Order: sequence, then structure tokens, then C-alpha cells
Amino acid sequence: MSMDAQHRPSEAGGESFVVPNAGLQPPPAELLELAAGVSEAPPSAIPPGEEETQLERRGPSPLQESLRRLRRDKRAMVSLGLIIFFMLVAFFGPPIYQHIGGVYESPQNGPVPASVYHSYYHEELIRQDEGPSAQYWLGTDDLGRDILARLMQGMLVSIIVAALVEVVDILLGLIVGVLAGYFGGWIDQLLARFTDLMFAFPGLLFAIMLTGIIGPGASDALAKLPVIGPNGNGRLLLVSLALAITVWPLMARYVRGQTLQLKEQQFIEAARTSGSSNLRIIFRHIIPNLMSIVVVASTLNISNTIIGEAGISLLGLGVQAPGSSLGLMISDATPYINTHPWEILVPTTVLALIVLAFSFLGDGLRDAFDPRSKD
Amino acid sequence: MLQFLIKRLIGLIFVIVGITFITFIMGYLAPGDPIRAQMGDHFDYHTWLMLRHAYGLDLPWYQQYYNYLVHLAHLDFGMSFKYQNRAVWDILKDGVPVSLELAFWGLIVELLLGIPIGILSAIRANSWIDTLNMGVALVIYALPPFVIAILAQVIIVWIDGKTGASWPSSSWGAPWQYDWTDLQPKIVPILVYGAAGYAYFARLARTTMLEVLRQDYVRTARAKGLHERVVIYWHALRNALIPLVTVLGVAIGLLVAGTFFIEQIFNIPGIGRISLQSVIDLDYPVIQATVVLLAVGVVVGNLISDILYTIVDPRIRLE
Repeated sequence: MSMDAQHRPSEAGGESFVVPNAGLQPPPAELLELAAGVSEAPPSAIPPGEEETQLERRGPSPLQESLRRLRRDKRAMVSLGLIIFFMLVAFFGPPIYQHIGGVYESPQNGPVPASVYHSYYHEELIRQDEGPSAQYWLGTDDLGRDILARLMQGMLVSIIVAALVEVVDILLGLIVGVLAGYFGGWIDQLLARFTDLMFAFPGLLFAIMLTGIIGPGASDALAKLPVIGPNGNGRLLLVSLALAITVWPLMARYVRGQTLQLKEQQFIEAARTSGSSNLRIIFRHIIPNLMSIVVVASTLNISNTIIGEAGISLLGLGVQAPGSSLGLMISDATPYINTHPWEILVPTTVLALIVLAFSFLGDGLRDAFDPRSKD
Repeated sequence: MLQFLIKRLIGLIFVIVGITFITFIMGYLAPGDPIRAQMGDHFDYHTWLMLRHAYGLDLPWYQQYYNYLVHLAHLDFGMSFKYQNRAVWDILKDGVPVSLELAFWGLIVELLLGIPIGILSAIRANSWIDTLNMGVALVIYALPPFVIAILAQVIIVWIDGKTGASWPSSSWGAPWQYDWTDLQPKIVPILVYGAAGYAYFARLARTTMLEVLRQDYVRTARAKGLHERVVIYWHALRNALIPLVTVLGVAIGLLVAGTFFIEQIFNIPGIGRISLQSVIDLDYPVIQATVVLLAVGVVVGNLISDILYTIVDPRIRLE
């Protein structure tokens, strides 16, 4: 299970750098050592050359220690289980659900197979606002659409946006942060100014503004894209981009801080004395050591991203009907809060659970990788 | 101190110029012509040219931006695109007191809930009270405010249905008026605002109080045989509040930004709703004005927190 905790953010990170993930593709032992070692016991970081012999004598590596701590953290493990469950439902739920149930003789639309009435966009206008039934497991909304199908699509949207945002967040944050921290100078100045600027934008306002202003034009332009474009989902890309622009400066600042610390340490000095180039030091020694902070920061950020997407869709600026998103479901159900509170409670509860799970997992990861940061 | 203030003011100007530039350039580069969009079916080439000229949109971008900054320096936010005879400020001004009122009372609730709960948790650290308090705070801290707002609304509706009462679930009274009819619709949004934010203060108060209780002077006070109440409320509490004061400044800056979703859900006519409407209407001058106002709020809030820091803790000198 805990391998998956490592696995998810690393997916988001792409393949441009090494991730301390023993489960997938074991990186060299010295990277593992360094990856977790820095946040825990910086003085004991050892020049990479000596690592192999040290490792045999010392028993569990810091990464293994961290994972053990994570496994003992019940709240984080329950959250991880919940996240995996939600992901499975979001990815495999819709195709399975569309194969369940027979043909429905709709008085309005004629015979409708399950693959249609269990889709998130099919409207059965004479079956509005129903409670859960054998045909509609979680009932229908005000347009006679299947709530469970829309919910699963909404979860998928949340997960996709989170993944897209984290890819940009990690890539930009790492590149700019490392350059600023390692070389300093004008990049550092520029980053500092830019983060000041972005931090002055209150919360989601920038994303709201960007999606609001460019949104209408963008949804037309993006609707032509093959898979993600149609059904009002085109704006997802825009929303992700807007959210990513607002979050990466924070990541860059974390990375910069850690890089500044790392660069003063002895193993970097040793590498430099032994003739390693700057590029080699960055890729081989600095970036692997940044992984724990990147993993923790991006996990903690995922819940903000999901809240952001839901909020933007809630305001009507994100995913457009007939597409679905948790925020859009909430906003669609708002007028019926008096008569059919069920319709608003379902997406709200699921959103709350997803957000809590990611945030607790992030807390757990932080405590596991950097025990000193607790409180 | 003076030097510090000057430095921060320069920083403030830099941030405002940057923010106005970003908002301006976004509007400028946005696809579609704003005047054309406002005219809709009533499009007429001559009127269009005239309006473009009236708004200065026929000028090159740097000229437009310069004019915008000059107007801003005179606290003039320009004219609305949507309502062609109304100034931006005229549109915003009804919303400002409403948002400020919501944010002000919301902050009071946050503090009145958060600080005592945090202090209590610290004094009874690791007891069941502490565990319960911090568990609740952790959940609320992670949840977005609009989820809390929706749950509160569902509860109101449910209670209304059970008791036959008709507690309003979405509206607002006259700002800063406290007759029962004005007050009644305000209570729940303010409580929701407070509940959504208290957790941050509670967690912070607990951490700082625990920190202070470990200090030598607290041990000394206890060793002197002072009453535990005196130790906690006189010696420890005052020092535990220092970091809270600084956070307060930041919170003040973010106050109005925090009302955005609560206004949306409870249908409150504050600047959050106005600016959202302007986003939908593509009324760029109104959007720009809101963004600038809120960003100034954040920067000024940060400045206030820095200044408060020196006042409550004289050991810190600003440079």
C-alpha cells in the first residue's frame, strides 16, 4: 500500500527525474539514501562513493524508515485506501456501471440501453429528482441524469485536474526552484518578485479571473480536441493551467530553500572537488534529495487543487454542462436544496471526503519524511 | 522603522503595478472584443468605433495601461463596459460594506472560537478535550468553506422543514443595521465564515501556547508558587498571543477574499458576487478593480502584521 503513496505523485512528475520509488524501478542505493537522508540527518549524508558499504552495515535506509513510519500512521493509511478506492471507482466505475441493467423502455425516448441511461449526460426528462432505485443507484438530478454516473465523472475530473496541475507544478517548481537556489543571481531575484506578486493575488481570484476572461473563447477552441474537448470538458485544460500558474511559485520557493541548504553540504562539496559539473551535481545529487519535499508539498497541494477546480466549476466558470464535475453538480443542485437536499449532499460529501483524504495523506507523508516538522 | 516603512511602501507599489499589469494584459489579450460582446445584437459599426474611442481602447496597449495607472493613482477605477453610464466604483460601492461586514464579524467569530479552543487544548494537552478539539479543527481546516456553507444551508432547510419555522437560508439585511429582520439572515453566514476559519487560529494558538508553557520563565513563575491561573493567563497567554497578532494582519488582508464563496452560496450582495457577475458579463474594468482592491488588501494586511509584530514584541526591530 505504502508504495502507492510514492507512486501517485511520481506519475504526476513525468519521467524527467528520478523518483525515490523502490516499488517501481529501484534507483541506485545511494540515491535512496540521499533522498530520505537529507531531511532527517543532514550531517550523516555521506559522499556517494562510500554509500554502498555504509548501507550494508546500517540496516534500514532512511526511505524505508520513512515508509515504516507512514505505515504506522493509521489516518494516513485509511486516507490512502480511500484515495485508491475513489480512483478505482472513477476509472473503472463508469464502464462497469454502463454494463449493469437491462434496456429501459422510456416513454419519451423509446428503448434506452444501460450504456446510455447510465452515462453522465443522458437526460431522462420524465425521471427527474428521483431517489435511489435499482435503475438509478443514487437517484437522478433535476434533468433526469444519473447522479452516480455524474458523480463518477466528477471524481474523474477532479483526479485529472489534480494530475495535470501537479505535473506543471512539479516541473516548473523544480526547474525554477533549483536554478534560483543553486545559481542565485537574477533568476533568484525574479522568482522572489514573482512569488511576491502571486502571493498578493488572493487565493482563487487569479484562476477565477483567467477562466472567466478566456473561458468562453477557450471552450469553443478546445471543444475540437478529440478526447478531452467535447461535452463541455474543454475548459478543464484552462482551469488546470490557471490553477497551476497560481501554485507553482510556492513549490519553487520550497525547492529553492531546500536547494540552498543542500548546496552547502559536504557531499556536494565533495562532488564538486572531485570534478563533477554543475549539471551533474544538480541532476545526480540535488534533485534526488529534493524528492521528499516535492512529494510532500505536491500531495498537500492536491487537495487545494481539487477544491479550486470544484470552486471554479461551482461558480459556473469551469466544466460546462452536459459535462460533469463535483462543483458543477453542487451548483446544479443548489436551487433544489429545499426540495431535494440529497442531490447537493451527495457531491458535497464526496468532495469533502476526497479533500480530507488527500490532506490527511499529505500530513502523514510530511510527518513520515520529516519527523521534526511535527507541530 | 521609517526606513522599513518606506521599503515596504516601495514593495507595495511594485506589487500593485505588477498586479494591475497582469490583470490589464489578461483583459487586453483576451479573445473577443469586449465592446462587441457588450453590444451583442445591437452591433453598429459607428457606435462601436465611438465606444472604443470613449473607452480609449483604440490606443496602443502601453498608452492604455499608462492611462489606467494614472486613473488608478487618482482612485478612479474607470467606467463599466456593461453599464455604460456607470463608474466602476458606483457598481462596487454597494457591495463593499456588505462584504466588510461579513468579513469583520466573521473574523470576530474566528478569534472568539479559535483562540480559547486552542489555549484550552494546550493547557489540557493530550487529554480527550485536546484530541477532540484538534480532531474537529483538523477536519474543518481541510474542508473548503463552501462545503461548510452548503452543509449549514442543508441543516437550516432541514430544521425549517421539521419545525415549520422559516429561517432565511439565503439573503442579507441592510449592512451594519441590527434590527432582528436585518440581523436574522446574517447570523448563519457569519457563523459559517467563522467556523471555516477558526480552525487555523485554534491550531496556531495551541502550538504557540505549548511552546510558551515550555519556557523557563513559566517554570520560574510556577516555582515561585504562583497560582496556576496566574501563570497561564498572566505570564503565558500574553506571550502566546504574539504570533497570533502577526497572523491577524494577514487574515485581515484576506478577509474579503474569503467571503467570495460564502457570498455566492448564501446569495449575499457583496463584492464577491458583483465581481463574479462582472466576470460572467466580461466587464473587465470591474474585474480589474476588484482584483486590485483585494490584492491591496493582502499587501496592506502583511504590512500591518509586520508593524504589529514590533509593537507586541519590542525585541524585534524592523530593517
